Amino acid sequence: MTVINQEKCTGCGTCVPYCPLGAISVVSKKAVIDQTICPNCYVCVRNKVCPFDAIEKQEIDTFIGQFQHIISDPVETTEQTGVPGRGTEESKTNDVTGRVKKGEVGICIDMGRPGIGCRLRDVEKVAMAVTSAGLKLEGEDTTPLAMLMEDNSKGKIKEEYLDTNVLSIIIEGKCPMETFPEIIKALQKVEKEIDTVFSLGVMVRVDENGYSPILEQMEQLGLPKPYRGKINVGLGRPLITE
Amino acid sequence: MTHSLHRSGTLESLKGDYVWFMYQAKGINDTNIKEKAEEFIAAAELVGSENWGDVKTGPIVSYPKEYIKQNIGNKSRLRGVFTSRKQVTEFLSIIKQKNLGTSVVISGLLDEVLSACKEAGVTPHTINYSLGIWGKKELLPDDDILSITTMCGHHMISPNLVKKLVQDVKKGRITPEKAAWKLATFCPCGIFNQVRAEKLIDELKNKS
Repeated sequence: MTVINQEKCTGCGTCVPYCPLGAISVVSKKAVIDQTICPNCYVCVRNKVCPFDAIEKQEIDTFIGQFQHIISDPVETTEQTGVPGRGTEESKTNDVTGRVKKGEVGICIDMGRPGIGCRLRDVEKVAMAVTSAGLKLEGEDTTPLAMLMEDNSKGKIKEEYLDTNVLSIIIEGKCPMETFPEIIKALQKVEKEIDTVFSLGVMVRVDENGYSPILEQMEQLGLPKPYRGKINVGLGRPLITE
Repeated sequence: MTHSLHRSGTLESLKGDYVWFMYQAKGINDTNIKEKAEEFIAAAELVGSENWGDVKTGPIVSYPKEYIKQNIGNKSRLRGVFTSRKQVTEFLSIIKQKNLGTSVVISGLLDEVLSACKEAGVTPHTINYSLGIWGKKELLPDDDILSITTMCGHHMISPNLVKKLVQDVKKGRITPEKAAWKLATFCPCGIFNQVRAEKLIDELKNKS
């Protein structure tokens, strides 16, 4: 975990604006870190933002503490997925893994993004809503969130982790294209019940012109036409054509 | 990760912002990565990638290029930014010719990137569409700040730091260029577009 060495701290406040979640403040002329907010992303430590070297790392000795750090710090790699950072694959290697095939939809719900952070309690609310609507969540091999689940098929997180704060974490899964409207309706309902934000990504196979019928579904659902995206240009080999 | 997917800003501003990635898949095509990564870097530099890096070492705005190259291993992830569609087209044309077999992803405005694909003769395989921000949006900083902070999709850049640097620029303590460069050093992946950030900070300094 990240702490301020109170003997070294001069209370200058230089460190305060650097915390992405605003967990650092100056109280009684000394900087302090609110441990209920700090996600241990190590932005302050890695970038040496304290001119007096007063920000220090202390050993993290719990599973959930280590998980919180790894999921919040993109420099780290999650052991299970082998992927640095928040550790999912989504579209980036779909041309060789074929994880999401024609007729399927991959859903990536980036909880806490952009830059707000989130409690796992809110992650559970969203995960349970989308699984009830028919989304099959990724397992431990492809996404770190699965490690926290009591029941991955229902999006149920173990009770003891629910108050943990993370900078962000991704709920990732897939469903048949015909289930997509139900997922969107579930998200439209649950977005009103959470105390944070999420950024939504929808991944599909496209034809040679970059078209997918999902765009028509989005229009029918009254969603704004997407104008930004992440395009896998099909240069990976061996190429999956399904 | 979807850390390049949800960049915000005006269409005009986003026309100067594209992210490139080289990805290997575990157990499928994850051998000889160093060799392939060097080919990617050479292509990106040839067409003028303003920032690039390997999350395991850091970005070129913080570390010497040779140091980053020396540290490339089979778990490295190479990525960087372009500031024009022309660069994307040229990059894709070169990488297609090299036929390295690793996955290539470009993040940006769909119309622009799809046109670049066509011009380069590559065929889109999969798209991850950004459907924006949902939930308690009143918690978010304003759009001007988000346009800058979302360029580090892992959110290593604090909105308060951006505000502070804009104030420093207004007071003449730092130039927009240096402020943008400083922000770029906080993004370990090398996908922060400091060229776009400089323009945005320059615009912000004139706002009250």
